[in-house]
Amino acid sequence: MTQESIRRSNASYSNMYGRVNQNMTHERMKVYFCTDLDKSVLVNNFEKRGWSQVSADDDWNFYWAGVQTCRNIFSVDSGYRMNDNQMINHFPNHYELSRKDLLVKNIKRYRKDLERDGNPLAEKTDVNWSGGGCSTRYLYLDFIPVTFVLPADYNMFVEEYRKNPQSTWIMKPCGKSQGAGIFLINKLSKLKKWSREAKGAFHPQIAKESYVISRYIDNPLLIGGKKFDLRLYVLVTSFRPLKAYLFKQGFCRFCTVKYDTSMTELDNMYVHLTNVSVQKHGGEYNSLHGGKWSVQNLALYLEGTRGKEVTDRLFGAISWLIVHSLRAVAPVMASDRHCFECYGYDIIIDNNLKPWLVEVNASPSLTSTTVTDRILKYKLIDNILSVVLPPDGVPDVRWNKIPSADALGNFELLIDEELAAQEEAQNSQQNKNSKSMGGNRWK
Amino acid sequence: MEELQDASIHHTAAKLINTIKTLKNYEPLYENVQKLVCSPSVDRNDMCNTLEEAIKNAGLETEIRNIIFHLVRSKLKPEEKPSQININDPLAYLKRAGVQWDRRVRKSLNAMCSELKMASQGQPRISTDRDELLSKWDELSNYTIDLANYRPVYAPKDILDVLLSLKGPTKAAENTEFVQVPKWEFSHISLPVKNLFELRNHYSDLLRTESYAGSSDMNLQCQRVLESKHAPLCQHLLRKGNTPAPYRGALWSFVLGSHVNSFDIEHWNRLKANVLATDHIVDKLVFKDIQLTASNDDQYFVFEDVLYQVLLCFSRDTEIAQMIQFEHYPIKGKSYEAPPSGVVPFHGICMFAATFCYLFDSPINLYFTFRAFYIRYCHRLTTINTHPQGIVSICLLFEKLLQTHEPQLWSHFRELQIQPIRVVFKWLMRAFSGHLPPDQLLVLWDLILGFDSLEILSIFAIIILSFRKESLMQVNSLDSIEAILADLSSVQVLPLVQLALSRD
Ligand SMILES: Nc1ncnc2c1ncn2[C@@H]1O[C@H](COP(=O)(O)OP(=O)(O)OP(=O)(O)O)[C@@H](O)[C@H]1O
Repeated sequence: MTQESIRRSNASYSNMYGRVNQNMTHERMKVYFCTDLDKSVLVNNFEKRGWSQVSADDDWNFYWAGVQTCRNIFSVDSGYRMNDNQMINHFPNHYELSRKDLLVKNIKRYRKDLERDGNPLAEKTDVNWSGGGCSTRYLYLDFIPVTFVLPADYNMFVEEYRKNPQSTWIMKPCGKSQGAGIFLINKLSKLKKWSREAKGAFHPQIAKESYVISRYIDNPLLIGGKKFDLRLYVLVTSFRPLKAYLFKQGFCRFCTVKYDTSMTELDNMYVHLTNVSVQKHGGEYNSLHGGKWSVQNLALYLEGTRGKEVTDRLFGAISWLIVHSLRAVAPVMASDRHCFECYGYDIIIDNNLKPWLVEVNASPSLTSTTVTDRILKYKLIDNILSVVLPPDGVPDVRWNKIPSADALGNFELLIDEELAAQEEAQNSQQNKNSKSMGGNRWK
Repeated sequence: MEELQDASIHHTAAKLINTIKTLKNYEPLYENVQKLVCSPSVDRNDMCNTLEEAIKNAGLETEIRNIIFHLVRSKLKPEEKPSQININDPLAYLKRAGVQWDRRVRKSLNAMCSELKMASQGQPRISTDRDELLSKWDELSNYTIDLANYRPVYAPKDILDVLLSLKGPTKAAENTEFVQVPKWEFSHISLPVKNLFELRNHYSDLLRTESYAGSSDMNLQCQRVLESKHAPLCQHLLRKGNTPAPYRGALWSFVLGSHVNSFDIEHWNRLKANVLATDHIVDKLVFKDIQLTASNDDQYFVFEDVLYQVLLCFSRDTEIAQMIQFEHYPIKGKSYEAPPSGVVPFHGICMFAATFCYLFDSPINLYFTFRAFYIRYCHRLTTINTHPQGIVSICLLFEKLLQTHEPQLWSHFRELQIQPIRVVFKWLMRAFSGHLPPDQLLVLWDLILGFDSLEILSIFAIIILSFRKESLMQVNSLDSIEAILADLSSVQVLPLVQLALSRD
């Protein structure tokens, strides 16, 4: 559809995409919401459900909070105790997943634990580099690029670096986002020089900031010659048992400039970083499509040009990656029943159609860059609400958090350990495996 | 009678044989047959039978059958010579309009050339420009040219205005009493169009229950049919309307006979060389068109660079001009130069090619299938012509269906004095490209190819109007009507078409 036609139609989109439960006949509890973010995609959705806005100091039932507010509410000092009819959109320690260094730490620990338990998932294999070096990788759990935290893991990094000195690495400050402070490195000397110039950035005692350094995916899948990453939305309603849903309408974010690995382009961030915030400043940014292409179109294109098998395998691997990243943090997450969270997963696909997890955002942007984007985000919020709320639409933590198929909207079930356990119990006589891992239902 | 038929078969066969000899694939085919003749499996004493057997075994028979299939579909249509024009032909005015339209379009292209001081046949490209174009061939979005002075030669609205102003031979006497009775915009045109009953017959395969076969079954069928390499079988399979995406490109190539041979690669390279060597005004128009449409479209922008290549080469392809069937009618006045392809680019031409980006990765494969599709279908939609599936017939069909099957909507439009064709014309002329989401567009085009007919476009336009009838009945302005029809993102082609054709 052309942007022009979307624009003309958007006058009516709010009623076309709504999924409100319209049975207002019986008297029910009035729902009060509070939000730190004054975004129309949020407020319109709340108001469509007949909710009323209140301030944070009033009695609210549903709070769309910033991460800081959420942390404050849960902090011991606040003395705030939530009642059964209250829900909030973050887990108090979401950073276990969303901070670059902690994500890596948790995944490394998860793999070690599985390995220690002799779990077959933790099987390893050797990778031989063209230069003669050799590294060990997990066979099934190798879904994040090799990453080290600097300055802490500097020596380990150097050791890995020497195994394959031709490779390029990407440095990212742990605490920043939107591409800030990111640069590429293809010589150890450049890293040392940077460390010197940043005045002791790597000195463990005086370093203000820690960094992660990851192997740069230098063979990304290119479409139309351009690099892109995937932004997928994952809704978690509980970590123990793990209950997670994947929104089917993710999108690809494209770089505006042709991908080019020649060294002259190493500093051109428009080539390497797919963040919209970075691309927006590039001269070629198109505000009609915003460089965003739907995941459905990606799947259609891949099936048409590469075949069904590899496409299914790719999307299967993406679900796999998400589930295991969540399992990796599940033990350390404060799985409070009042909480749910919608994560923005950033994934890069390489030219072997293998997905790599780049980053997880706990507050994915709700700003809409295009009309299609606004429709998508409106629907995302609507669907989140219908999954996290009990059928009567009133927040209630005593509810079993098993939404009906109808309530899922555009979400598909990734995993529900509780349901899986029930199913397993039922099927144990028949010796059937549970089907908790959803298949490829992306279209 | 039988004799007559016999004679005509012989005539056709003779014509076929002569045409086959002019084809590019004749030489390699002939060589292969020669090789077979020398092979031990062919017996000199029983040449006829053993050679036939050997041809079958080597898979050449299918190839020959496919060649004939494509010839019969396209090249052997009786061509009208300008001299044969019959003055009593009720369609004469339409043919004249077609020729005049073509001339008008070429004339404005030429006017643009002289305004911008460019040679209408193109001029040698200056070497710096050629070098830049060559080095950026794979990333033409980075090839910067100033396009401020270029505008599309024509847009759907222009051709629609001409269509609506077409005046047939006046039937003055009959009509005088009925001046109050609104006339159909196209009803005076005596082109034959099908009624719903005939359409149901034509599309009966879509209503077969077996067409609901499971998808794994369909995958298997696709594999088998593709292995057989049989073009008619491929075409038949597309009629089910549930072609799995992975097989679509291959099936379409068979139906359109657009598999890439080595001579096609050479041809493509020549086209590319020609683009690099000459600077033609159509290059600018191609760039402008892509920038106005595909580059801004969130379904297609990623394919921008491929589209530049494909459409630039398209503009240089003189084979297109040879294969397209133009209207013939003697008109007086000056004739004007056309681009080498014979096709003057119009607003949105690249959207026809864009669809193929979901099927082919390589520009060459994309090119030849797109080209074949363009020649067979798109050309009929974008020029004024008397073809039974040309845009005029498609509009007429739309109107008749609307009046017969949606009389309420028809009167509603009447009361508002809005010509219904106005709201659907852009869909029809672009065969819904850019209007339907790609996955659904591909299904619609499967049906075009499967049934070898553009009539599905009129049917589908009606379906959408019926589907949104309630909302349409409630609004009173063109703008609100267009707003209701703007977003087709939730439309599912196959179930709607099946429903519409099966309903009484
Ligand atoms: N290992 C990698 N290999 C290749 N490209 C990468 C890699 N890591 C990051 N990138 C690119 O850099 C971009 C920014 O990375 P990342 O998302 O980790 O940073 P950020 O600053 O936190 O961005 P944001 O918060 O906006 O998502 C990614 O979108 C991706 O295009």
